[in-house]
Amino acid sequence: MAVSGFEGFEKRLELHFFGDDPTFIQMGLRKLDFDSLQQVLKAVQCTVVSAVGNAYFDAYVLSESSLFVYPTKIIIKTCGTTQLLKSICPLIYYAHHHLGLTLCSCRYTRGSFIFPMSQPFPHTSFKDEVTYLEETLPANLCYRKASIMPSKSASHSWHVFTATDDSNCQTLYDNGHELYTMEICMTDLDPILARNFFRLPGDEKTGDSAGKEMTELTGICDINPEALICDFAFDPCGYSMNGIDGHRYSTIHVTPEDGFSYASFECTGSFEDDVVYHIMRKVIQIFRPGTMSVSITCSDYSHGMWTRIASAAEAMGLKCRSCTLDEFPAAGGVVFQTFTTRRKK
Amino acid sequence: MAAEEGQVISCHTIEAWNEQLQKGNDSNKLIVVDFTASWCGPCRFIAPFLAELAKKLPGVTFLKVDVDELNQVAQDWAVEAMPTFMLLKEGKIVDKVVGAKKEELQQTIAKHISAPAASTS
Repeated sequence: MAVSGFEGFEKRLELHFFGDDPTFIQMGLRKLDFDSLQQVLKAVQCTVVSAVGNAYFDAYVLSESSLFVYPTKIIIKTCGTTQLLKSICPLIYYAHHHLGLTLCSCRYTRGSFIFPMSQPFPHTSFKDEVTYLEETLPANLCYRKASIMPSKSASHSWHVFTATDDSNCQTLYDNGHELYTMEICMTDLDPILARNFFRLPGDEKTGDSAGKEMTELTGICDINPEALICDFAFDPCGYSMNGIDGHRYSTIHVTPEDGFSYASFECTGSFEDDVVYHIMRKVIQIFRPGTMSVSITCSDYSHGMWTRIASAAEAMGLKCRSCTLDEFPAAGGVVFQTFTTRRKK
Repeated sequence: MAAEEGQVISCHTIEAWNEQLQKGNDSNKLIVVDFTASWCGPCRFIAPFLAELAKKLPGVTFLKVDVDELNQVAQDWAVEAMPTFMLLKEGKIVDKVVGAKKEELQQTIAKHISAPAASTS
């Protein structure tokens, strides 16, 4: 393993807001002026690379991962040595002063960093992150819990922090439909497949057009053929995409360098449509990871999602090594599973 | 008309839209139409860049259509994501860029400035 390389593992923050003024709620956070958004991203230390919106939400590809803005929900996911939690203060401020919106829920998740020593404060340890969150979040978010969900490997844990107020902030529903969020983290990618995410030196393409080629070449476009994809290829390597399909997003980020290769896939879905098997198969096919973790967040895990995930992964030659459940007050449950290839590489 | 050169022209009515389209078609100029919405963050992100392009490229007509204002136009042109940029020459769509992608937009426009108008097929 390299002494230090690019940290692929993202930090992910999901904030929900509410407000009393219906004119603000309708488009809510999407009305935030770009200067304010830029101030938020400056605090995190990243910039917008490309973006697209539809009737339901805005999706931004960032220099380090992605940002999704819904009328009352914002999701920021950043990799590398970004300081994601520093976005909370400016976001609370702008949402309140510019839009009359109040924070009602916060969820912070991440895997285990490959290079934990390179992380700046407050990401120096989960303990520091939790302390920072506890001190930054307003008192109305009274139901709080921090948890490290283990696997059998000490280097793969799932870190979760939730804080919710007592207002029935419907964070796990969308128009009455129960939603799940699936976060997949993959390491030790197949080196031949990882090469698809390198650009040829002097290819004279834009990051947009090189990204589009990668989307098609790798089969990423087949994961959800209905989605409109906003993609970008970094120079000399690395790839990011956001998929938008109605009110649902999906997102992929790839750090393909050997020694610390990493790819992530994340999406939301509802339990009515049974696409998770197809998604799992496609994602595994595209990256062939040596190790993979899948985390599902939802309000009710009686749906047996994780058994379908495990059977899809096992059909693709991965073996389930651990499955952990945890519940968070007024914030649903999380199921965390890890998989590795059957054969030792 | 000269006052509009170098600017992004907002079309607030169907009449204004048709008039601009006609003007562009008659002059054989490349037209870039920005389909945008007031509530769309990515549209605000690219707006300054588009204004700069318009300044730099006086030979290209830049039009802006708010999808809420001219809902029927947006529907007729099957605009689903914002921003969507349609490139027109002689009344025909020659290219399309979906999303706020600066480099892609600039390169696509450059490609069609230098390319001769589509020959008769």
